[in-house]
Amino acid sequence: MKTLALAAVEAGEEPEGRDSALEAARAGDRAAFDLLMRRHERLVLGTAYRLAGNLEDAQDASQEVFLRLYRNLGKIEAGNLAAWLYRVTVNVCHDARRRRLSTVPVEDAAELADGGDPQQSASEAERRALLLRSLRMLSERERAALVLRDLEGLSTAEVAGVLGSSVVTVRSQISKARLKMRDFVERYSRRRL
Amino acid sequence: MSCAIWQDRVALFAGGDLEEAEAVAVERHISECAACSVLAAELRWELDGLREVHAEPLVAAHYAAVRERVLAELEKPPQRRVAWAWAAGLAVAAAGAWVVWLVVRPNALPAPETPRVVAVVPKVERLVPRGLRSNRFVENGTPGTGRKAGMTPGSAGLTARATALAEKAGPPAIQEQKPAAAEVAALQPAPHPAVEDSPVRMVQLATDDPNVVIYWLFEEKGEER
Repeated sequence: MKTLALAAVEAGEEPEGRDSALEAARAGDRAAFDLLMRRHERLVLGTAYRLAGNLEDAQDASQEVFLRLYRNLGKIEAGNLAAWLYRVTVNVCHDARRRRLSTVPVEDAAELADGGDPQQSASEAERRALLLRSLRMLSERERAALVLRDLEGLSTAEVAGVLGSSVVTVRSQISKARLKMRDFVERYSRRRL
Repeated sequence: MSCAIWQDRVALFAGGDLEEAEAVAVERHISECAACSVLAAELRWELDGLREVHAEPLVAAHYAAVRERVLAELEKPPQRRVAWAWAAGLAVAAAGAWVVWLVVRPNALPAPETPRVVAVVPKVERLVPRGLRSNRFVENGTPGTGRKAGMTPGSAGLTARATALAEKAGPPAIQEQKPAAAEVAALQPAPHPAVEDSPVRMVQLATDDPNVVIYWLFEEKGEER
């Protein structure tokens, strides 16, 4: 299982919470900041993509996350950078979604119900689309918990830390999210038969 | 036990989120319950599918595009800050101009009329029955003659009027049916030269509670004035 510590090592952070790129970026070195972005871009853009559900919104969110990182370089400790980035990414995606007053889940449900050939219902492409859309049916908190736990591979305690919730709450959110996704897929499959 | 109770645990079990003892219990239940066994299998299938879909990495160009946009944003001059500074400056200037206009405008509104204090009724140490109070009042003299030392002769009429008004007002409401709580012991016209012509009068009644003072405002009319 990937943990935040492992994510930090993968991102090139040095042991004992030191990060020379972070320190250089704090001193105003743009090249060092570019290096920081390269180290964490998979974390930020990948999470944003899973939360937002489309690349354009994910890129907008990632840009905002990195700009916030730049503005807060002096406040962030090297050892907490990955957790900070996860937290800000989740918050930025939530804010963007609220601003758009998104009705995507409803549209997706209608789209899934109306389109396609019943004979292809079990096809791989449709299965992928179904799973992606079922993720978007979840509430913000449930989706964030499920993405961080099941797709980003964080532990339940780490997810709780990122979301600012208790472990019990996160376990409940994850459990509900999985069941909701399964219900969505089941309902859709029944309708197609 | 109903399977509905097991659903949450089966969902956590499918993702490997249960402690060992709990996982063993769920596993045992699944082996005995066909519905929960199907549920667990479906949940695993969906989670595996979801991970598979999201395991595909994004194209490198997508990451590069974000980096370029961020760096381009950082290269921009801080126009927003300049705009904010201008806005703040304009707001301060407008506020200053408004304050100056308030001070120097020719037709400034007159100050509100201040009520004039015509009598102060201090509180008494102990309650005196209404009858006693009346007798004592007679002993001191009729209104207009029973002046205390220090009162000016010119204030006698005013004092009498204030006394009558205070008597007419009866006991203060906060005395809770204690009619003699605020006895008229001394009456003094308070000097208010600035508002001498004001028709509004005020009687100040002290009560047993030092935090409670009753102000009786009234407007004086008629030929007595």
